[in-house]
Amino acid sequence: MSLEKIIYEVMHNIGKSGGIFLFQTTKLAEGVSLHIRKTTQFKTVNFSFKWRTPLTTKTAAERAVLSNVLQHSNARFRKSAEFRSYLDDLYGTMLYFDVSKRGGEHTVMLNVETVNDQYLSNQPVLNDVIDLLQTVIFQPNWKNGQFVPSIVEREKQIVIQRIESVFDDKTRYAQQRLTQILRPNHPASIPASGTIETVKEVTPASLTEAYQSMIDNDKIDIYVAGDIDVEEIQEKMKKAFQFKDRTPQKPTINEDSKPEKDYVKEFQDMKQGKLHMGFSTPVKFGDPDFPKMQIFNGVFGGYAHSKLFMNVRERESLCYYVSSSYSPHYGLLYVISGIEPKNEKKAIDIIFEQLDEMKKGNIAALELNQTRAMLVNQLREALDLPRGQIDIFDQYKDLDEEFSVELWKERWEKVTKEDLQQMASQLKHEATYFLCGKEAE
Amino acid sequence: METIEFQQLDETLYYKKLANGLDVYILPKKGFSKTFVTFTTKYGSVDRTFTPIGEKEPITVPDGIAHFLEHKMFEKEEGDVFQKFSERGASANAFTSFTRTAYLFSATDHIFENTETLLDFVQEPYFTEKTVEKEKGIIGQEITMYDDQPDWRLYFGAIENMYHNHPVKIDIAGTIESIDQITAEHLYTCYNTFYHPSNMLLFIVGNVDPKEMMAFIEDNQNKKSFKEAPEIQRYFDEEPLEVAIKEREIKMDVQQPKVYVGLKAKETNLSGEEMLKHELAIQIGLENLFGRASEFYTDVYDNGLIDESFAYDFTLEKGFGFALIGSDTPNPDALVGKILNTVNHAEQMLNVESIERIKRKKIGFFLRALNSLEYIANQFTRYKFNDMNLFDVVPVIEKITLEDVKEAFQSIQGESQQTIFKILPISRNQQ
Repeated sequence: MSLEKIIYEVMHNIGKSGGIFLFQTTKLAEGVSLHIRKTTQFKTVNFSFKWRTPLTTKTAAERAVLSNVLQHSNARFRKSAEFRSYLDDLYGTMLYFDVSKRGGEHTVMLNVETVNDQYLSNQPVLNDVIDLLQTVIFQPNWKNGQFVPSIVEREKQIVIQRIESVFDDKTRYAQQRLTQILRPNHPASIPASGTIETVKEVTPASLTEAYQSMIDNDKIDIYVAGDIDVEEIQEKMKKAFQFKDRTPQKPTINEDSKPEKDYVKEFQDMKQGKLHMGFSTPVKFGDPDFPKMQIFNGVFGGYAHSKLFMNVRERESLCYYVSSSYSPHYGLLYVISGIEPKNEKKAIDIIFEQLDEMKKGNIAALELNQTRAMLVNQLREALDLPRGQIDIFDQYKDLDEEFSVELWKERWEKVTKEDLQQMASQLKHEATYFLCGKEAE
Repeated sequence: METIEFQQLDETLYYKKLANGLDVYILPKKGFSKTFVTFTTKYGSVDRTFTPIGEKEPITVPDGIAHFLEHKMFEKEEGDVFQKFSERGASANAFTSFTRTAYLFSATDHIFENTETLLDFVQEPYFTEKTVEKEKGIIGQEITMYDDQPDWRLYFGAIENMYHNHPVKIDIAGTIESIDQITAEHLYTCYNTFYHPSNMLLFIVGNVDPKEMMAFIEDNQNKKSFKEAPEIQRYFDEEPLEVAIKEREIKMDVQQPKVYVGLKAKETNLSGEEMLKHELAIQIGLENLFGRASEFYTDVYDNGLIDESFAYDFTLEKGFGFALIGSDTPNPDALVGKILNTVNHAEQMLNVESIERIKRKKIGFFLRALNSLEYIANQFTRYKFNDMNLFDVVPVIEKITLEDVKEAFQSIQGESQQTIFKILPISRNQQ
């Protein structure tokens, strides 16, 4: 299983570990929440800041550049090398910004991981790290009231190169093309770093404005997890991060976006054929049928015991990888595989054949049980990582319920073969994208 | 059972060498729900010429066989082993490197049963001509997938440039042609030679009781019988110090040119603490010269010669070693010039302040990595196979001086040891 796949599953199969899995939430301001979890499990203390706003190509581009610029320097360390040296001195405290998306929302993340003071023989570093975070967020490297033009230009170039590099990774490129075909002008196809055109339009002035808006208007969630004193950290965080009250904008998703074509084939100079298929389902994250779709995806193509893996790979030897993944915030399901170009039709036929098997109810009790066991295990394993605890809580906190692994385990246990038949018949194929070598024609 | 305490790290490691020669290590982790287990043989893609167990004459087997064998271990007469793990919610996997083949699983439940499945499936080979033929299509697509990945091609292109004879230059999965020659008989020969318990290590980390687990493993192993195994004889041709090819480029359908500078290591015959210190010293030296706080980095970053793909790394095993430094770049020649200039002036640029700072950073990195059960199991095994100890990393880093770094760095500093490998976009050259 690829790393991306594991991360994907971690992000989409959520719960809490057996008993105590608790973040204590306090409000720093209207629209700004602080979540703290004390645990002795890790040798580090983890911080995560998440700023959220409705996703458009413009906000994505501005915020991708912004996160790079904020990572580059600040008012205390105006040169990147000085900033990095200081982080090294704090026992290699890891500090990085990143951008991502979820449903109709764009997220700027600031993630920090520092060694727990008790493992350091010399001086403690936790207070220095909190001071530094305050600087990084509230004291940007400005000249004449805005970001430094040379840094902005350089970071724009870096983001453009990041967007271009998708072309070099043929699996990522094919997936990007599929989502563009499947859902034009829709958050599913808007990259979290924006587009080359929108990145080029960013100026020091527009970036300064985007920064102000992020600090003052975004929905903010702040997480701290580690072996810490909860009250003490709460006090320190309240003092260091004085955000204003705000009423965050709610995202909307353009539900009218539909594919213009149901099949697109493109050519590059390459050996393998990249088959990417897009399906839609009415079932979304948090819906009553959501656990059924999770099981459906597992039995169909989520694991090494799945129908796609057992048939396209093991029975027919057509590929090395084949899998399905469920994107519950968009109600989409993707199937991807790398095959010999001449086997395109054969592979597509077998994929549809497997979906038909599920519609007909040809699903063994073993397949169901394996999938349930894998989902529960993945959830528990994810909670063994500080970042997993934060991301899982972050995703599930908005559901109106007390959240636990046991609860999700029960829901998955209730899913029946008939439920999966129903999920299969609701699944609608919308588009297929095939990328392969020119000589295949 | 031996108990090894690491007080500063708050960890206790349990160890036993079983009667059949298998090394078993158990590291209990409080608070974790997960357990991660690796079962690793000291056998990788470079072990292609050897004397098979019970024979006198050395043989050379087709390239990619260690990896092929790894794939085929999962298939049994009664079906696919993945199925058994899935039933118990365990995620199983395996990987083959230059020097190791590891089988592993992670699970939060049924740890004993899963451990038993792991031990049994790796210790009960089942290969037939039919199942071997079936796998050729699957691995063929794996090889094709890597062929289309510029980062993989860049990595192997640089290694191919460096080595005349050493099999590290051969792709771990082999080629479509080489795997086509593989037979079930080959697989049994390799299996019987390299999968003897005395050539393997079992590492268990997570939510386990060490005494119960050790007894369970010992019981499992005592039920099986293994032939007495002599020490494995592996053969490698003499490898010259200088690189095989100074400079080479290929073209692929990419947007940005990519380049690696490779520095072939002179010192490849170390083991134990000496090797650990040498390897850490070179890593610290590379970070001093090329890290994000370095003069080099500031210069090439500000001048647009690198992007987020910039990376440097040092690999060292018995018989081969190399540093790689490179990036996607609009101007490969300018970047190569700056990298080589930095390497050639390392003596003046390595300095005590940077080294002390990087030492702290590396200690922090190591402590962070101890949150990861996968890191602990995989790294511990890799270190042990070279007679090093993962838990010595912090005390060894603390001891390293500027002089140590300068001395170690000489291993990769010779002009004849430098190579350049580029991947250029197709379109650019058609214009």
